[in-house]
Amino acid sequence: MSALTGGVGPAAATAGPAAAAALRRVTGVPLARLLAKRLVAAAVIVVALATSVFVLQRLSPLDPAKAMLGPGASASAVAQQREKLGLDDPFAAQLGRYLVGLPQGDLGMSYRTRRPVMTDLGAFVPATAELAFTAIVLALLLGIFFAVSTSLRWPGASVLRGVLMAGASAPAFLLGIGAILVFYKQLGWLPASGRTGITDVPGGPSGLLVLDGLLAGRFDVVSDALKHLVLPALAISFGPSVAIGRVLRTSLSSEERSDYARTARAKGLTDGAVLRRHVLRNAVGPALSMTGLQVGLMFAGVLVVEQIFAWPGIGQYTAQSIPVADFPAIAGVTLLLGIGYVVINTVVDILQGLADPRITT
Amino acid sequence: MSQDDTTAAVATAPPPTGAGAPVARVEDLHVTFRRAGADIQAIRGVSLEVGPGEIVGLVGESGSGKSVLGLSLLGLLGGSPRTSGRAVVHGTDMLTAGAAERRDVRRLHLGAVFQDPMTSLNPTMRVGRQIVEAAGSQDEAVRLLTAVGVPDPARRLRAYPHELSGGLRQRVMIAMAVAGTPSLVIADEPTTALDVTVQAQVLGLVKRLRDEIGCAFLLVTHDLGVAAQVVDRVAVMYAGRITEVGPADEVLRHGAHPYGVALMRSRLSLRTDRDTPLLALPGSVPSPARPEPGCAFAPRCTLAGPDCTTTPPAPVEVAPGHLAACVRDLAEIRAFADAVPGEEPPATGRPSAATAPAAATEAGPGAAPDDAPVEEPAAVRVQNAYRTYGVGSGIGRRRPLQALRGVSLTVARGEAVAVVGESGSGKSTLLRLVAGLERADGGTIELGSAAGAQMVFQDSGASLTPWLTIGELVGERLRSAGVPRAERDRRVAEALELVGLPAEVAKARGTQLSGGQRQRVGLARATVVPPEILLCDEPTSALDVSLAASVINLVGRLRRELDMAVLFVTHDLSVARVVADRIAVMYLGRIVEIGTADEITHRPRHPYTQALVAAVPDLGVEPPPPSGEPASPLDPPPGCAFHPRCPRATPSCSDPALDPRLAAQPGERTRLTACINLEVS
Ligand SMILES: Nc1ncnc2c1ncn2[C@@H]1O[C@H](COP(=O)(O)OP(=O)(O)OP(=O)(O)O)[C@@H](O)[C@H]1O
Ligand code: SF4
Ligand code: SF4
Ligand SMILES: [Mg+2]
Repeated sequence: MSALTGGVGPAAATAGPAAAAALRRVTGVPLARLLAKRLVAAAVIVVALATSVFVLQRLSPLDPAKAMLGPGASASAVAQQREKLGLDDPFAAQLGRYLVGLPQGDLGMSYRTRRPVMTDLGAFVPATAELAFTAIVLALLLGIFFAVSTSLRWPGASVLRGVLMAGASAPAFLLGIGAILVFYKQLGWLPASGRTGITDVPGGPSGLLVLDGLLAGRFDVVSDALKHLVLPALAISFGPSVAIGRVLRTSLSSEERSDYARTARAKGLTDGAVLRRHVLRNAVGPALSMTGLQVGLMFAGVLVVEQIFAWPGIGQYTAQSIPVADFPAIAGVTLLLGIGYVVINTVVDILQGLADPRITT
Repeated sequence: MSQDDTTAAVATAPPPTGAGAPVARVEDLHVTFRRAGADIQAIRGVSLEVGPGEIVGLVGESGSGKSVLGLSLLGLLGGSPRTSGRAVVHGTDMLTAGAAERRDVRRLHLGAVFQDPMTSLNPTMRVGRQIVEAAGSQDEAVRLLTAVGVPDPARRLRAYPHELSGGLRQRVMIAMAVAGTPSLVIADEPTTALDVTVQAQVLGLVKRLRDEIGCAFLLVTHDLGVAAQVVDRVAVMYAGRITEVGPADEVLRHGAHPYGVALMRSRLSLRTDRDTPLLALPGSVPSPARPEPGCAFAPRCTLAGPDCTTTPPAPVEVAPGHLAACVRDLAEIRAFADAVPGEEPPATGRPSAATAPAAATEAGPGAAPDDAPVEEPAAVRVQNAYRTYGVGSGIGRRRPLQALRGVSLTVARGEAVAVVGESGSGKSTLLRLVAGLERADGGTIELGSAAGAQMVFQDSGASLTPWLTIGELVGERLRSAGVPRAERDRRVAEALELVGLPAEVAKARGTQLSGGQRQRVGLARATVVPPEILLCDEPTSALDVSLAASVINLVGRLRRELDMAVLFVTHDLSVARVVADRIAVMYLGRIVEIGTADEITHRPRHPYTQALVAAVPDLGVEPPPPSGEPASPLDPPPGCAFHPRCPRATPSCSDPALDPRLAAQPGERTRLTACINLEVS
């Protein structure tokens, strides 16, 4: 829930009185209904995801007990371990135990780290959150930039369009590797591994280095963390940003030709004023929808790209959990991503309601 | 662009003498677009002046260049056309001046009103901010809204466009257009998207604003009745040229150009003769990609001769201030105009054989069915039909919208009944129920026979699958009935012939046909297996007068030859009058009056029918603008739903317990009216 208010607050603050009024409108009954609906959706998704992870665990040939004890463990030790983990209980009992624990924040114990999965996630999530948030913002900014620069008439427009298409069709890991080769190996402009090179980083409160650095007044940390973010965030957001940019370009050009834009020009407004005051707000809707759709893709991108950039986030955690059949850890990560997806799409819906007064009536 | 036709261009029609320097002057304007490798000559030498405070009407069929002329004066031509000539407003040529200079002219001296106020206002900005952009301040915005007759203006400023009714939206557009008292307002079809009673109000407003502010209007319209009502001078456009220009009364009553004469004649009014086919203009507008070398009207002109096809005829002054571009002399044209029936006295009623028995069967909601002693088999019998929709989507609340609130209607075999009413009255819903496309929530709908109902839509073009040929589309129903191939082809050819399409059309696809042809395909498709009843949903409202006339004639002919009943939905009483034996008038989900076409159009009795009839724009008619706009079907007013707008309403009319039923007056057999305060006549 805090993510939601965080998403709405800044938007309302920057968009002025009109948005504030719109916010008052969406914060009435419709917003409560939207949130209620999304809570239900999140619950359904969590149950569905948890169930499928458990089914996978059943089908998997790996034995977590064996993986925990190592290859040399005796059969009786393994059996004992299975007993201890409750792995021999009926399927429904295991699943039920897991689901009942969820509301209390109990995601079970990791087989590998032997700590609560919740604690592990708490340690890894901030790094991933910082990267994912940066990537989403970057995808939006780049999308706007691509939309504008490919629709303007300049000699490079068609070349740029071709480059973007080619780039967008490359998977995120390829872009990541390419970026490392060029900007780190060849040019040496940007770092290519980890979150920061500084050892005495502030330890809190958010776990987001840029934010914590700002709060602590450690601008060296801020700038170093930002440098580390550039390449992985770029690799993740490039494809989505091209998709967003294309949608935005199409909707900008059709809104520019709309009747109300003609009315605005007939009033004697400048082209810039027509674009800023009238066209933009009407054109963002489809771009926001596309952003919501791309978020799922970007989550997949984050997990892979973290590997390439040695980013200490849940991608790393997942990569270490999969080979040892650490199903509680895998389930925890899966649920987290599912909830993140719902949250971000809820924010997108609220932003769309802010942009278009017709949506909530 | 040829320079040799400048002769045609000197048709500068001066404004009435003594009016002062013109506020706008178009001189020999040519506008050529480039589309799909072809030159589209939208305007081919137009000259026109608009005097201060003058209302100039620009009329003509679709594609004649009216909107392009208006946009040229605004300096807002899109699609980067080639232009020559001048379009001067306030001393600035809006074709060649710099962007900043044109912007200043638009801001200070021009206003614009466009056809659809829903799309022409920014949906995401409060109307207050939109008006302030033009008016400069909040106070001025309130003053303007008051001036254009928006009730409670301070509150409306905070509304979004979708929260206003169509009429209020167009008033907001007009308020923005007259902000800063411009010297000229370009109004492009400002009333086409509005209901007829609201249209009358908006036209009244245009006239009042001219008188109060003194700004001139260039009023683009395809409706000659609209022009007749408010304009001082009329310019008739055809294929990118002005064929005739002069004082409105002169041009509309004593046209001096064969095109203007023919246009006036194919126009429908409440006085149109019902017993003879309409005088449709033959042929269609020439393609702007292949203009005629001489007079553009020659292919469709009865008076055309070899002298017409070489050079465009020069405009000649036929009367003071009245110019016409035709090579024939005036006497010849007048003789042509008089040779055909012009405005006849009202056609006396033609009691259709089918009418009488069915008429007495309509009854209000809940009325005992046995007051209708009808044995005659009916084509369709609707009894006490109710239909409610849930509206409001996304994350808003859903509310019930009562589209039909107890409608009973019987259409006899072979009878044609028109259903008229303003938007939201439920007429299309009724049609969809009869077509079986939706189910009624209450009441019954019985079709007379298994032949069933077939529907023709407003825009048949949209319902023609683009990847099937016309032949396949028309034959679809035969095919699903298992008719063998050869037989199918034969019957498709017959159906096409019946609707007046050449047989080759069977191989064409929907996108290659014109609007009128597509409408004919829609009719062929519906009648290839003749239905018991043909359902038409505004099939003419997207068509020009001449095309509409031919489609109406066709519906009449099909009805006779195939012996079908017809249920025809339209918002246009003049159309209803000529297609139907009887007319049912709907208001907010109920039939408020039903009777023969002549009863309804010449002796309306229900106050709403009277307001509708009075609002139909026509020559020499000064309508008393009816008050108010249709209420929302989301919450129909209690008692008689019409009472907030009714001039005869009494306190008992708003009594929630009141439920006015359709009832016949003593001595009348064919007409039923639902009103408790009928004038005794
Ligand atoms: N931007 C454009 N690009 C290409 N062709 C255009 C453009 N605008 C108008 N035209 C063409 O110019 C011709 C005149 O169009 P215009 O819109 O002025 O007709 P109109 O008289 O206003 O018709 P209607 O009654 O349908 O509004 C048409 O053939 C139209 O297709
Ligand atoms: S010039 Fe010829 S074709 Fe044109 S309107 Fe006159 S008579 Fe008809
Ligand atoms: S019942 Fe009353 S309000 Fe309704 S139409 Fe008759 S007089 Fe008017
Ligand atoms: Mg037009």
